[in-house]
Amino acid sequence: MKHELKFTVNGHPYELHIRPKTLLVQVLRDHLGLTGTKRGCSCSSCAACTVLLNGMAVKSCSVLALQAEGAEVLTVEGLARGPELNPLQQAFLDHGAFQCGFCTPGMLMAATALLRETPKPNKDQIREGIDANICRCTGYNSIIRAVTAVANGEYQEAAK
Amino acid sequence: MSTYSVIGKRVRRVDGPDKVSGRAKYTFDLVLPEMLYGKILRSPHPHARILSIDTSKAEKLIGVKAVVTGKDTLGRKNGIWRRFPELCDEEILCRTKVRYIGDPVAAVAAVDEDTAEEALDLIDVEYEPLPAVFDPLEAIKEDAPQIHEGVELNINVTRHIEWGDVDEAFKKCDYVREDQFKCSSQAHMAMETHCAVASFGLDGKLTVWTSTQSSYYVQRLLADMVGLREGDIRVIKPATGGGFGGKFELDSPQFCASVLSMKVCKPVKIVLQREEEFTASKRRTPMYCYSRLGAKKDGTLLAKEIRVITEGGAYTGMGATCLYLTGFFSSFPYRYPSYRYDGYRVYTNTAPTSAMRGFGAPQSTFVSEGQLDMLAADLGIDPVQIRRLNGMVPNHEVPGQATVQSCGLPECLDSIDQHLRQRGKLPPDHGIGIAAYGFMSGGIFNWFDTPYAFSAAIVRVNIDGKVDLFTGACDIGQGSDTTLSMICAEELGVALEDIRIHAADTGICPVDLGAWGSRQTLMTGNAVKMAAADAKRQLLEFAAAKLGANIVYDLDIKDRHVHLVDRPEKGFSYYDIVKQAIRGKDGEAIIGRGHYTPHRKGMVSPAYSFGVQAVEVAVDRETGRYKLLNVTTAHESGTVINPVGIEGQLEGAIMMAGGYGFCEDQPMDDGRILNPSIAEYKLIRSLDMPETKILEIDTYEPEGPFGAKEAGEGLTNPTAAALGNAIHKAVGVRINSLPITPEKVFRALQDQKQ
Amino acid sequence: MVYQCPVCKKISSAGLDLARHMIGRGDKEHRDWISSRGFKYSELLALQFKSFGGEGYKALAEVLEKETRVEG
Ligand code: FES
Ligand code: FES
Ligand SMILES: [Zn+2]
Repeated sequence: MKHELKFTVNGHPYELHIRPKTLLVQVLRDHLGLTGTKRGCSCSSCAACTVLLNGMAVKSCSVLALQAEGAEVLTVEGLARGPELNPLQQAFLDHGAFQCGFCTPGMLMAATALLRETPKPNKDQIREGIDANICRCTGYNSIIRAVTAVANGEYQEAAK
Repeated sequence: MSTYSVIGKRVRRVDGPDKVSGRAKYTFDLVLPEMLYGKILRSPHPHARILSIDTSKAEKLIGVKAVVTGKDTLGRKNGIWRRFPELCDEEILCRTKVRYIGDPVAAVAAVDEDTAEEALDLIDVEYEPLPAVFDPLEAIKEDAPQIHEGVELNINVTRHIEWGDVDEAFKKCDYVREDQFKCSSQAHMAMETHCAVASFGLDGKLTVWTSTQSSYYVQRLLADMVGLREGDIRVIKPATGGGFGGKFELDSPQFCASVLSMKVCKPVKIVLQREEEFTASKRRTPMYCYSRLGAKKDGTLLAKEIRVITEGGAYTGMGATCLYLTGFFSSFPYRYPSYRYDGYRVYTNTAPTSAMRGFGAPQSTFVSEGQLDMLAADLGIDPVQIRRLNGMVPNHEVPGQATVQSCGLPECLDSIDQHLRQRGKLPPDHGIGIAAYGFMSGGIFNWFDTPYAFSAAIVRVNIDGKVDLFTGACDIGQGSDTTLSMICAEELGVALEDIRIHAADTGICPVDLGAWGSRQTLMTGNAVKMAAADAKRQLLEFAAAKLGANIVYDLDIKDRHVHLVDRPEKGFSYYDIVKQAIRGKDGEAIIGRGHYTPHRKGMVSPAYSFGVQAVEVAVDRETGRYKLLNVTTAHESGTVINPVGIEGQLEGAIMMAGGYGFCEDQPMDDGRILNPSIAEYKLIRSLDMPETKILEIDTYEPEGPFGAKEAGEGLTNPTAAALGNAIHKAVGVRINSLPITPEKVFRALQDQKQ
Repeated sequence: MVYQCPVCKKISSAGLDLARHMIGRGDKEHRDWISSRGFKYSELLALQFKSFGGEGYKALAEVLEKETRVEG
């Protein structure tokens, strides 16, 4: 039995037919080919799969795709405008806020949600905001520096 | 100041744009037409004989395309210590016996993962459980079960290092102390689990995309195991989600996917589940240690004797190297006139232990730096002072083992001393502990038995001045693609964006042993520098005539400007010279070649880096809980090629090594790992992460490219040790077993009260 | 006065040192010699990690001092 799913991903509308048990992460990666979103576990404990669902950070491995019916989903692929990286992405580049990069999509989405909610977070709020996201490479501090730089307005949104 | 144009600059990583935009493709992301999904059936027993395997039901399941067991293999045993057949002990698909919970017995390929999973349940394996043994001290008993045929007392490898007259020297000591320690295990826990896509074609050639630290090792080891010629196997490493020492042996996804693909002639993908990753991939080596240390009243160290017995787990892997390095680095970074190490690696029915970042040295550093602090306290000597008194200095000879050329340890100690002074008097129950360490820049001993140079590179200069750099080096996240591109750009005199790197694809890149033992910057860096210099010389031959220079050595290229060294203003554009040179060579692109194999540098490594770390903690006496407040590291790694990269290595190492000291562990019950999930495996998350500070010390390593040496693994060595010393400073209790859990601190504080 | 390993002929200046050598080598020949004198090799080795003062070595050293002394 397949169900219909209508939703928007990175601004593009989609209409799919999926099995009801399909996870959001599976739809994104396997059906839409948006492999930027990663999976580091299977038990909702690493946050590598974080995406924004109607602006809220969720772990897409623990959300059924059907729960996204009618929703707007933002994944890492939706952050850049064409070739123009967004401020957070640029700050990650300048501060070396990633190494292997496997946690990075989830990290960027968690930080995006944080900055939307708290545009000027202090260090502790940033630590809190990414505490669910595991990074085995960086030790987090470079990520915190990158997010701080964006919060301080050191990067401008690219002109549209 | 340096006159470099590229190296030492804060650049963006060459793989950065792909990684921050989600476009980087990992093996985990790969999908090929007609691709099948594989799963591996693993032993539920720690030790059992396989009586029979019935795969018929699984084969009949709709969607299943192939099932393989040990019978479908050539029955060979795999091991990365290829030069020593007795240490090649892993069939990967077991034929007659399983030796740990997680040992593979069969693999399935099906149209999707769910079907493959379902098929695993339909495979009937009949086991005869055998008595099992889990602790190395039990495994060496005469009546313990024998895990590998012919290996008596389960002793897998022994290592002995000795110099000076240890017994005589102990007699001369004013003070001697003996201590025992226990070091725990640790999971690599790379965020991308082990995975591979293998594709065998009707042309008889096999291509494997895999998450690996060495595409060459995988190629060579697969060739041995599946009976193809090395050249018929192409191993490609796409973006890789971390390794930390866990990904440079041939692993079960690579082997099983290859065997399955060879059976069906379709691509097969196997990705380990996180739980399999915890239970059935290799891990850090736990060990029991005994150490005896003797000194004169003034703190001069005269003698040291150390013994370890390690829990090897079911197979050898890189265990033989670990065992040696534990012994070698137990002497670091000090000048012991006499020293003796006896190491034993013992097979047990547990998940195999092998290489992990630091390679046996975090364990030995925990032991030796803890004991040294105790000895210093007994003698009433300041911890910095005793390290100064005995620490290595440039051009130190480790008798019979190694030559240390550059060494910035004295300066590191000075700068940590200053840091301690600045911190001044600490609040109650706060403490700062220090630990000194050293580490190698790649290994010398050719246990793999490769006939190739250890590193090689090819540089191709194209008509538009763009440069293709080919190397077998593996960027697993540590940043070697960026560092090597920087070295290439600097040597050739062009900009970083002129370089495009093609790495870790055995089909197009020259052999490189890969990313382990902190070898890429120094070894591959040297090869890249040589290749770039070779290409540059070919370009300058054309420029020489034009500029009226006597010989090419009077010329150089910098910032894309070809010029006379003595009169930099006299010259012309790099682009012009490239065009002329290629025309002049009958239209052939300029190709430079380089290679590097260490020679005449002792038996361990061509160079060593050093550092001292200070860890500050605050302990709650009521509960034993403590917080890591600050980790400050004085560190030297020769010329810094890529400063952003070094910061990242340092902070990442603190997360991992701090975790080793603080919370990471793999408790077991009868060979079963009890916490095989990220939810249960405690590690340092962003809220626990201390503030970090780096005090970079300038040194120059004559053996390294532009004077550079390692900066990756060494940083994992000091943290657990410094943490233990900090706890002692804070509340006066000493924990000699890892990890230093709040519970252990609490118990020790209770004992202290009595 | 020195002591000579009955298996590989290594010379040691003390019985204790020779005992350590023999346990340390741990190959079949050395182990067999140790067992032939009524010791359990594994126990001697395990003692190195369970007790202080080189306990396991001492008993073996006594035997070695009697049996392997050579003029040197
Ligand atoms: S994949 Fe780990 S939390 Fe979703
Ligand atoms: S960059 Fe590798 S896990 Fe975060
Ligand atoms: Zn002998």
